[in-house]
Amino acid sequence: MTGTLAPAITCHDVTVKFGDFVALSDVNLSFERGLVHAVVGQNGAGKTTLARVAAGLIRPDSGRISIDGKPLALGNVRESRKAGVELVHQSFALPPSFAIAEAMEFGADRFGPAFSSRGLRKRWSAHLKSFGIAADLSARIRDLPIETQQSVEIARALVNDASILILDEPTAVLSPSGVEALFERVRGLKKNGITVILVLHKIREVLAIADTVSVLRGGRLIAAAVPAASLTPMDLADQIVGSETGVTDADDAAALVGAAPSRHAGMRAEARSAVPVLALSKVATAPDVDGPALADVTLRVHPGEIVGVAGVEGNGQKTLVRAIAGLTAARAGAIELTGLDVTGTDLGTRRRLGLSIIPFERNSEGLSLTSSLWENWSVKRLLADPLLTFIRPAALRSDSDEAMKRWDVRYRHAGQPAGSLSGGNAQKLVFSREVDDEARLVIAAQPTRGLDVGATAFVWQALRAARDRGAGVLLISSDLDELFDISDRLIVMLSGRIVADVVPPFSLAAVGAAMTGAGA
Amino acid sequence: MNANLIAVIRALIFIVFALVLCGIIFEFAGYSSLDMFQSIVDGAFLRPGGLAQSLRWAIPLFITAVGVGLSFRCGFFNIGAQGQFYLGAVAATVMATSLNGWPALIVVPASFAAGIAGGALWALWPGLLKLRSGTDETITTLMGNFIANLLLVYVTTGPLKDPSGSGQQSSSRPLAAAYRISNSLGLSPTIIVIAVVVGLLMWLLINRTAFGVVASLAGRNPVMVRWQGAKVWRLGIASFLISGALAGLAGTVEVFGPNGRLVGGFLPTHGFTAILIALVANLSVGGTAVGALFFGGLASAALYLPIMAGLPSAAIDIINAAIALFITARSSHIDRLIGGLIGRARKTP
Amino acid sequence: MTDLIVAVLRSATPLIYVTMAGVIAQRAGIWHLGLEGLMIIGAAATIIGIVLTGSLLVALLVAAVFCVLASVLLWFAIERLKANPIIAGLGLTGLGIGGSTLAAQSIFGSQASISAPFGLPQLGESFGPFAALSVLVAAMPVTVVVMWFLLRRTRFGLQLAACGEHPFAARSAGVSPPRMRLVALGIGGLLAAAGGAELAAGGLQIFAQNMTAGRGFMAFAAVVFGAAHPIGSALAALFFSVVSALGIRAQLLFGNAVPPDLLLALPYLATVFGVWLSGRLRGGAAIPSAFGELRDY
Repeated sequence: MTGTLAPAITCHDVTVKFGDFVALSDVNLSFERGLVHAVVGQNGAGKTTLARVAAGLIRPDSGRISIDGKPLALGNVRESRKAGVELVHQSFALPPSFAIAEAMEFGADRFGPAFSSRGLRKRWSAHLKSFGIAADLSARIRDLPIETQQSVEIARALVNDASILILDEPTAVLSPSGVEALFERVRGLKKNGITVILVLHKIREVLAIADTVSVLRGGRLIAAAVPAASLTPMDLADQIVGSETGVTDADDAAALVGAAPSRHAGMRAEARSAVPVLALSKVATAPDVDGPALADVTLRVHPGEIVGVAGVEGNGQKTLVRAIAGLTAARAGAIELTGLDVTGTDLGTRRRLGLSIIPFERNSEGLSLTSSLWENWSVKRLLADPLLTFIRPAALRSDSDEAMKRWDVRYRHAGQPAGSLSGGNAQKLVFSREVDDEARLVIAAQPTRGLDVGATAFVWQALRAARDRGAGVLLISSDLDELFDISDRLIVMLSGRIVADVVPPFSLAAVGAAMTGAGA
Repeated sequence: MNANLIAVIRALIFIVFALVLCGIIFEFAGYSSLDMFQSIVDGAFLRPGGLAQSLRWAIPLFITAVGVGLSFRCGFFNIGAQGQFYLGAVAATVMATSLNGWPALIVVPASFAAGIAGGALWALWPGLLKLRSGTDETITTLMGNFIANLLLVYVTTGPLKDPSGSGQQSSSRPLAAAYRISNSLGLSPTIIVIAVVVGLLMWLLINRTAFGVVASLAGRNPVMVRWQGAKVWRLGIASFLISGALAGLAGTVEVFGPNGRLVGGFLPTHGFTAILIALVANLSVGGTAVGALFFGGLASAALYLPIMAGLPSAAIDIINAAIALFITARSSHIDRLIGGLIGRARKTP
Repeated sequence: MTDLIVAVLRSATPLIYVTMAGVIAQRAGIWHLGLEGLMIIGAAATIIGIVLTGSLLVALLVAAVFCVLASVLLWFAIERLKANPIIAGLGLTGLGIGGSTLAAQSIFGSQASISAPFGLPQLGESFGPFAALSVLVAAMPVTVVVMWFLLRRTRFGLQLAACGEHPFAARSAGVSPPRMRLVALGIGGLLAAAGGAELAAGGLQIFAQNMTAGRGFMAFAAVVFGAAHPIGSALAALFFSVVSALGIRAQLLFGNAVPPDLLLALPYLATVFGVWLSGRLRGGAAIPSAFGELRDY
């Protein structure tokens, strides 16, 4: 058999276990060379694990992989790279203090082991130019905009002559036009004979770019490199979710396909006239590490409405949440909660007025993973009283038990660490703490990121319930489908400003244009 | 409960690990490790009066270690207990010297207050630097130890020097007998009461107040607690101040109890041992008491070895050091092993 | 003036070797607080080795082997057992101080110090006022430059820095962080052995209990003050040595106006200031803290 006939990469019976958890189970799959292959599935289906096995970062418990028909030594990144397999991670992996040229060099082996600082830039300028990266080669990774960072990551992956490039969730951080540019690049790579494997979870994107589609569910392979042309979105959704009855719930379908069912509450007249739960007027902040400064932000959230915040990540959404929380000082303008001026007050004061926050980073800002469930749950009420208040841990435990049961958190006992919960249950724990009857304004920042379809639907229902109870909800998401589906109104952020404020029916073209500033 | 049990077993496993390493070093240096360990156990606990001597060393260690434990619990790697211990001793001695001649009922409380304040202040500046500017407290408190040591040398050879002493000796004038809270054996009702009160108050603070729960959450994840609206700044300063105050109290107890004077470079490993105790105890107050007794025993054996057994006291430093090398280990292999053992023990009652 | 320079070179050289050991470890992401212990092991092994074998070469070899073994022990504790590097490093320091004392006492009884009949070769007459300095003094600037080149101008240096800053990135590029940390600590062991040998056998040719007297910690301070840059940290160590030399002469220079003990605190104060300043300049903690834990990969 000649090399050209063999598939680019073949997995034979690949199984990966983490403790008792089976991440991949007997996966048999082969990818033809020179095509674009998509691997899809829900969070936790094993997509990333499969990518990391191919890249040599994870050693499978059993099974074999061959590249171009030749067996690959497993669990060894060096061997995988030698065989031509390169992986670009979802959360990029380059040392932030490195200059671009250094980031290229440290993983390469095509030049000598030593260099001068000018020689290093000369080594890599042509390579980077071929990827359209115009940035100064001594610029540091941490100072690059996110789309440039991704380009640098892809350039880094191709420093040695890779023949198989795996991109893990590359679209998660991009705007619609960024996604288009990425797909254009992927087609270019394909033209150069590179086999591209895309780990994705949006069906719309999959069908736009992939030649074949493979579906993973719970670590099992459901569909192996099926030609994309033969699939309809609903087929694919059924395969990804895989309930026996198929995708019946509208929310489930929306989470996957992005077909937004129209269920907007429509602003009630009395809500429109009520005192807004949140009112920002001409708020400006200093820039911080998370993104640009807010400039002239005016925003109102009324009781009984869900206001969505769209925008490419890093355009001030984090600063907006921090400003509302009082964790970033407003340099100018005023912030009101339930009609009271809270500019300059601390988060404790604001929380007492009914501010609830589901923060961006569930695992760092939302929960202390190594602390127990009851501690995580009780912290909010403990902080409402002076710190030297006498407590009874047993009472706190039973209160937290009760609340978690009410929110359907699946756990063994209240003393187990929060880190032992699955993503969906951890988010339910956060909701059980934050979204109570006293919540007047709920800020939900990326509340469904990393959750599977069921947990996503749960979060949406919880947000709608809060709205229906009369709370205001500010929902920040980078998933336009999600925003379109449940927002009653949508604002778009760009470079720390609000550049659009739209009501349903939402238009993807218009919002997408606003996100990149093309609409202006 | 389960997690605590695992922590205890893990600590024991690594102590055994450390003792094996010590045995190897002893043998390598030409000593019989069996003799060595036998003499250490004799010196610490078995000889007549051994337990009382171990308790004498355990009490100051316990006081300092409880404070270190609180600081670690709150997530601050304050390794400056040694410096805070010294500053407490210095401040208390300065107060006692300047009030010399007044009745003990005034001098002793004032000196204790000064000692506590001295230790707290020596923890305050690293705390402020950490909380205001994010300056790493590990480095500042470590550097603080060296600075405090030089300061102690300076005061005991300069301003506080005992003029009647020989030129070589660096120590202060002895305190009047009326001001002492114990004789040179270092055990008295006053000292025991101090230790018990410190232990009880700290247990209550950590286990029965909102501060305890919030502080230990902040220690594991300060970001999350900030997002809950807590003033992490205040929690942090409180933990630095309390841990410094306790180390300062321990220094004061040493000066007013067994030492009776301030001596340049006294107990140079006190802070380090207190850190080990806090870690061995997994930061719990009860565990700290047990740990303090163990390390107090070793400290007492360090005096016994060269005199009674003709063995070098460096052996004790080696045991402490070897324990330090392993005590923070958190290998998942070992945890899984322990988990399995516990599981099996439960199934076969 | 010349004798001040000689005195500074003599005290700076051991410090700078040990500082280089700290620099390479810090770049690999390890806060090395075992430097003091390695240094005294190097000093003790050199002198005891000379006395027992009569051969400088064998003595230096023994010192190198012991320091590398001790470094491997530290690596095992922090990498394989996931112990906290700071506490484990302090433990290694304790082992070094206690172990060297124990070894010296078991071999030579409880003497205050052990003298060797000879020490490291000296530079010789042609170096004029520097004749009495050892060859390791002359090799020191070369070592610093080599370290700079290794860490800043080679792919190895970049890979080491990647292991320190973002181990997962290093692993994704096929670089093994545990192995790189082992290499860094091993090289550090050799450098610390050189520092210890110079301290004990460079001038005085004696070993005394606890003779490093905190120099290893001062080297760590120099690493921090110099932001783990080889040349910056070497200059910091040099600065600290100048301060110490002045401290010894303070009585002569300033009378009693400046207490020498407080002058000796200057390096530590400078380090506190340096860490504070670098945190300010970079807007946040310059050297990531997290209790000095190794980062996961």
